[in-house]
Amino acid sequence: MQGYRTKDFWAGAVYVALGLTAFLLGKGYSLGSAARMGPGYFPMVLSGLLVLIGLISIARGFLSGGEAVPRIHIRPAVLVIGATFFFAATIELLGAAIALPAALIMAAMASRLFRISPFAMLGAAAFTIFCLAVFVKGLGVPMPMFGALFGG
Amino acid sequence: MLKSLHALAGGVALLCATAMPIVAQDYPSKPVTVIVPFAPGGASDTIARLTTQIMQPNFAQPLVIENKPGATGAVGAGEVARSKPDGYTLMQASIGTYSTNLTLQPDATYDARKDLDMLTIAVRTPNALVTRPDFPANNVEEFVAELKKKPDALLFASSGAGSSDHLTAELFWQLTGTTAIHVPYKGGAPAQTDVMGGHADASFQNVGAIANFVKEGKMKILAVTGETRSPAFPDVPTFKELGIEGLDVYSWQAFSGPKGLPADIRTKLEKGLTEALNSPDLKPKLEAMGYEIVANDGAAADAFVAQEIDRWAKVIKDGNIKLEN
Amino acid sequence: MEILANLGLGFETAFSFWNLVYCLAGVFLGTAIGVLPGLGPTATIAMLLPVTFGLPPETALIMLAGIFYGAQYGGSTTAILVNLPGESSSVVTALDGYQMARKGEAGKALATAAIGSFAAGTVSTILIAFFAPALASVALSFGPHEYFSLMVLGLIASVVLASGSLLHALGMIVAGLIFGLIGTDVNTGTLRYTMGMPELADGISFVVLAMGIFGLGEILVNLEHEGQRSTALKKITGLMPSRADLKQIVAPVTRGTALGSVLGILPGGGAMLASFAAYALEKKASKTPERFGHGAIEGVAAPEAANNAGAQTSFIPMLTLGLPSNPVMALMIGAMIMQGIQPGPSVIEDQPVLFWGLIVSMWVGNLMLLVLNLPMIGLWVRMISIPYHYLFPCIVAFCAIGVFSLANQTFEIWLMGIFGLLGYVLRKLDCEPAPLLLGFILGPMLEEHLRRAMLVSRGDATTFLTRPISAVLIIVSVLLLVSILAPAVRSKREEAFVED
Repeated sequence: MQGYRTKDFWAGAVYVALGLTAFLLGKGYSLGSAARMGPGYFPMVLSGLLVLIGLISIARGFLSGGEAVPRIHIRPAVLVIGATFFFAATIELLGAAIALPAALIMAAMASRLFRISPFAMLGAAAFTIFCLAVFVKGLGVPMPMFGALFGG
Repeated sequence: MLKSLHALAGGVALLCATAMPIVAQDYPSKPVTVIVPFAPGGASDTIARLTTQIMQPNFAQPLVIENKPGATGAVGAGEVARSKPDGYTLMQASIGTYSTNLTLQPDATYDARKDLDMLTIAVRTPNALVTRPDFPANNVEEFVAELKKKPDALLFASSGAGSSDHLTAELFWQLTGTTAIHVPYKGGAPAQTDVMGGHADASFQNVGAIANFVKEGKMKILAVTGETRSPAFPDVPTFKELGIEGLDVYSWQAFSGPKGLPADIRTKLEKGLTEALNSPDLKPKLEAMGYEIVANDGAAADAFVAQEIDRWAKVIKDGNIKLEN
Repeated sequence: MEILANLGLGFETAFSFWNLVYCLAGVFLGTAIGVLPGLGPTATIAMLLPVTFGLPPETALIMLAGIFYGAQYGGSTTAILVNLPGESSSVVTALDGYQMARKGEAGKALATAAIGSFAAGTVSTILIAFFAPALASVALSFGPHEYFSLMVLGLIASVVLASGSLLHALGMIVAGLIFGLIGTDVNTGTLRYTMGMPELADGISFVVLAMGIFGLGEILVNLEHEGQRSTALKKITGLMPSRADLKQIVAPVTRGTALGSVLGILPGGGAMLASFAAYALEKKASKTPERFGHGAIEGVAAPEAANNAGAQTSFIPMLTLGLPSNPVMALMIGAMIMQGIQPGPSVIEDQPVLFWGLIVSMWVGNLMLLVLNLPMIGLWVRMISIPYHYLFPCIVAFCAIGVFSLANQTFEIWLMGIFGLLGYVLRKLDCEPAPLLLGFILGPMLEEHLRRAMLVSRGDATTFLTRPISAVLIIVSVLLLVSILAPAVRSKREEAFVED
């Protein structure tokens, strides 16, 4: 079956999944009346609409075929998104001076052209100093320079 | 994963902190963070920044404002309540955070009475009952008559569901035995705009915020909720004078810290804050914005907050106001 | 000629040495924070507010205003260079601006943005000078009904933004509308879709969504192609627009300025619509709409002009009525009050130095932005010609620090990461992110105004058609919808015929 591999099918699946989640989570909100619409009115209409659009997209994927979904590259996604998660998880413990360059290197590894080299390490250090100077010192973003692990 | 990391981080932080006993003579030995649980630029933020700026020269360490907005201050207040009572984490927030949240947000992670030590009520401002410029009533008596003639029909704009001016309107209806339609807005400014444009009939708004609109004839002012008349409108009566008792309400801003502040640190902070609020550099500016300086001490502020919590809890209960969850 | 005397006074004030210095400081600071993702003018102005006490009122306001429009400008720079729209108004600039940058025309795109903004700023300054008091009444004539109809028009216009499938444009708009529901319901205070997380009570920040779906999503797609060709950029072809380019953008800039000036007057969210209304208009007016989304120069010029014109005219309700149309204006009103000036119609008569000085300084500030930024273009372009595998980790780090600074907590970083993944997947499925962002921006306003209008009219939906301004907006919306659907239906039929 070609249909399962089309972009339209999977986009439709994403819409249906989002719409259904919104519907299920929003079930409890009261609908109200036309004069006094409740908090559930819009969520109900919108989630229904999104499911409908999703179903049309799925049907289109089966009926008219269309392009197949290109390969999803797992490695860059894991490393780049992982780097943001790593930064979020460790900033309080390690502090920006350590979490930031670590996240930088981790994100950089998503690129096939990147090699850990003295130049890269130096660059990461310089960029970290720049960020600390601009954001923490200059703009007063309350981000610990050294985290709880180092008594900061 | 996130939870356990947080727990680990918290544990390490606690270890480091408890290792050093706090001595008031040394206080402050590092920068003090004043958490404002609202976005930059709002009333709470402005009061915090102005007061700390005036207080700064006599304070040995930097006073740093940190905005932690969310859920009428509940996000930031919860964090202050959980922080160590060492005087290095303080808060400046509004009536909503300290008082009405407790009833309106039963799931909030803090209780202002149990988890916070008040330092001072910084400022307060009464509300004014204003109407659109072409509204038929010219005084409160006529206004109430109009409300009774058309029950559940006039449009009362407010700056949000559960906001101080919404609750003031609710209290007004309860005290006068009237009903109307509550129309919430996202903040005071759009509510005021629609009253001026004639898209809403009336509203309770901070005197300072509407003073100029009234003077320009874009709104009508009928009465103020203060204990005494407002200096900006000496001719406008208070509700008390008009025989409507119990509508002496204010919106207010206050400084606090986590429960259990060492007595000498608390005194030092109270003194610094109240002196700043009363200083000639700040007081006239705040008064120009329509605020009255309160600047009482922590014990008085604690008592006032407890009183406000009970009072608004009753209004919310009687008015059956619920932020449905 | 009273107006000339007034403008003369304005020039005298704006060109005094210290006012020039503070104006320059304002636009420079504004541009800088606009370029850094996540940092906005509101926070910066709030921080600087106490500092301005020592200054004369007009000087204080000149500097604060400079920060505001400088930041608008800076937000477009990152949108063009690295597809990071830092302000909601620069989402549309990213559409064609970033594509131009990928074609090696980053310099041209930046220059177009600067020139378009300056032209719009000049015209709207003149507009304010002549018509501010008269225009103020327009601000009050818009009630909930009119705003709702305006939002409907905006939403339909956002369909035009997509360059691909109509179905997916609709799907993404609705998905954006649903993301916009997250948080506290304005009418009842109910928490929706917060799943017990108080951090979501005020909704998702636009910046988090934009950094994730636009910024990180784009990076992940770019990483797939590296090595195949020279990463993100082709050879840089010329920094400045040619004479032909300039000729091409005259009409779009004019239309964008007109649209932006009108929408900017409306305090209830009009300025937000300005940039993409202008984009939609250009695409509809163009003989070659298929170029849009692939680096059309009009797609940069028109929204930038509209955005800047709207930013200028949003000062009208603030100066003449004391009505803030956004948090920055609210802060400026606070600054005026603390200086002992009550904003309102009397400001023009009572404070001529302040009023006219501020107006002329806005034009001066726009000129400074142009002078400041044209030479900077070379620098910016050189910056993005850094090998991509060194550049992108820095963008990721900027995004992470930027979203952290929104509420000073890590929650937003986690959220941004999740949206980054979603953005990547959607891109792989040919779902364009721009309509999603616009649905997200417009959704809450649409719902708020609809529910308020229904409440005010006691459930009578016909009021949308019986009130004249609202009716006109609804009619225009219907016409626009027909003009969007008609070609789609026609092409479907043609397809059907071909298959037969």
